[in-house]
Amino acid sequence: MGFSFDYLFQGFAIALTWQNLLWALVGCFIGTLVGVLPGIGPVSGIAILLPLTTVLPATSAIIMMAAIYYGAMYGGSTTAIVVNIPGEASSVPTAMDGYEMAKQGKAGPALAISAIGSFVAGTISVIALTFFAPILADFAVVFGPPEYFALMFMGLSLVISLSGRALLKGVISMSLGLTAALIGQDPLTGAARLTFGTSTLNAGVDFISVIVGLFAISEVMINVEQRITAINTMKIDNWMPTWADIKQCTGTMIRATGVGFFLGLLPGCAPSVTTFVAYDLEKRVSKHPERFGHGAIEGVCAPESANNATSTAGFIPLFSFGLPTAPSMAVLLGGLMMYGLQPGPMLFQTNPQFVWAVIASMYIGNVMLLVLNLPLVGMWAKICRIPFYILGPIIVFCAMIGTYSIRFQGFDVWVMLLFGVIGYFMRKLGFPVAPMVLASVLAQMLETALGQSLLISQGSPLIFFTRPISAIFMVLALLSIGRGIWSQVKAKAPEVVKDDAEY
Amino acid sequence: MKTQRAADIVVGCGIAVFGVFILLASISITGGAAHRLPPRTFPMIVGVLLLLCGSGLALKSWSIRGADFAIDWPDREGVRTISVTLASLACYIALMSPLGLPLATFFYLVFSIWYLKRSKWLTAIVISLITALISHYLFIRLLGLSFPAGLLFE
Repeated sequence: MGFSFDYLFQGFAIALTWQNLLWALVGCFIGTLVGVLPGIGPVSGIAILLPLTTVLPATSAIIMMAAIYYGAMYGGSTTAIVVNIPGEASSVPTAMDGYEMAKQGKAGPALAISAIGSFVAGTISVIALTFFAPILADFAVVFGPPEYFALMFMGLSLVISLSGRALLKGVISMSLGLTAALIGQDPLTGAARLTFGTSTLNAGVDFISVIVGLFAISEVMINVEQRITAINTMKIDNWMPTWADIKQCTGTMIRATGVGFFLGLLPGCAPSVTTFVAYDLEKRVSKHPERFGHGAIEGVCAPESANNATSTAGFIPLFSFGLPTAPSMAVLLGGLMMYGLQPGPMLFQTNPQFVWAVIASMYIGNVMLLVLNLPLVGMWAKICRIPFYILGPIIVFCAMIGTYSIRFQGFDVWVMLLFGVIGYFMRKLGFPVAPMVLASVLAQMLETALGQSLLISQGSPLIFFTRPISAIFMVLALLSIGRGIWSQVKAKAPEVVKDDAEY
Repeated sequence: MKTQRAADIVVGCGIAVFGVFILLASISITGGAAHRLPPRTFPMIVGVLLLLCGSGLALKSWSIRGADFAIDWPDREGVRTISVTLASLACYIALMSPLGLPLATFFYLVFSIWYLKRSKWLTAIVISLITALISHYLFIRLLGLSFPAGLLFE
């Protein structure tokens, strides 16, 4: 089933119902808020709210979750520009030039160009998603369990290899995520594993508890430690950029969209990576690279455009292969599974109305976000002023509600607390968090695909190398692991991770 | 554990021990049939990975001399603030069942906000009261989620 305008129009018909419009708007609003507020990122925002959406139909819930994700990408720039505190790691390059512009009295144009760049990149990427995703899904229809295992194996190995010199820490992080996911019943035989005879552990550890702990609770701990109290913001008088600003940024938007989109298709290349690449590229092609870091408007536009292109591109492997490329996508994958939807090529055939409605909602969501972010820019800047002594406990309350409402068991909240502490120490000790998150979400699918593959091959692991597509994925995975080992061998300093995949 | 190298050695050893623990726990897992993936295979692989990578991290860090840097641990005040924050969260979780969501939320927020900003006790009470009422009317009454309502609202 390739692309068809009929399906897209049907998707728009569903996305334009008042209920779905409302949930998209709520998602855009919450997403922008999540992006604006330091101390809570898109992953924890989605993970906290995901269980609460069970009262909604699947389409409305995923429309809202997707809107929160790309909305957070819009909102992350506000604190970066106005108060020099990036809401997420992906907004760090925005702060470099955005805050300088704000100090020069140009906070308004900086915020506006980031919203316009986000809109342009988001819209171009949704158009690409519309055409690419069904083509890739058609290609992926021939995938069997060996291909899926090889694809997920490659995804995990790429995420780990991006840990840089901290390869061993990446593998440890992944293994800890797998350990958490393996607790409970074996998906193939139902045998109890790592439960130590306790009935509580028999139901397993829910990955939402793991993610909320790793991101929300550990973030609160870090902020409490740093004693972030109040944030002072500057007044924003004129928010419209000049035509000269827009003209200056046109090429930047296109280049950053290309960088963000194509890198966003790869597992591990989260916005926090692609925004730096786009910023660096823009500095290289600029005739005046010395302006970067001192208030260059392209330095704001490039990362913000790349940010949104990457977040939209991540939906292509998610919808086409069922492969999450970043922690946020892994949480969305969990959301799809929670609703009984199996992401992957068959999603386009078995649930075309759902998938096209979500894609159509992204066109609408981008317009909503432009409207929310341009005229209301002053309001978002004021929200930055909520002090952490109020925000921190409220984040913990939201995390509690979100985690408890998955299965209504106090055990899940204790797991959240435990992983909050683990996440805090992982950050302090330089362990990447992304491999743990992806592993905890992919573990069951990975194991099921491995089991089914070995059943087909009557126990021979050579099946992964005798089928062409899985062989390609396995070779790429092994090359990625080899590259990681090589950089590990060359390292002459303690293991450190340069930048985690995503917050 | 003041420097990255020392921390890596200690954590690497800890991870290796944990790997052995997982490996031993995996051996007792039973079940499976011919040509099927036995349920203990994956946990055993994970145990081996933890053992190898933990040992590798410890050995590699031990063998490295020269470049090293300090870990940004919190000072004494920071440790105390984090400990109190975690303890209050643990109390919140423990009290939710007997007291119910609204009341436990109220006490948790009052304490946490007051603890992080001592001079703002009135703000703490007002925000906590509003949040507690929202938690009851939105999550329990409107959405019908199965949170414990507690003594006051049952």
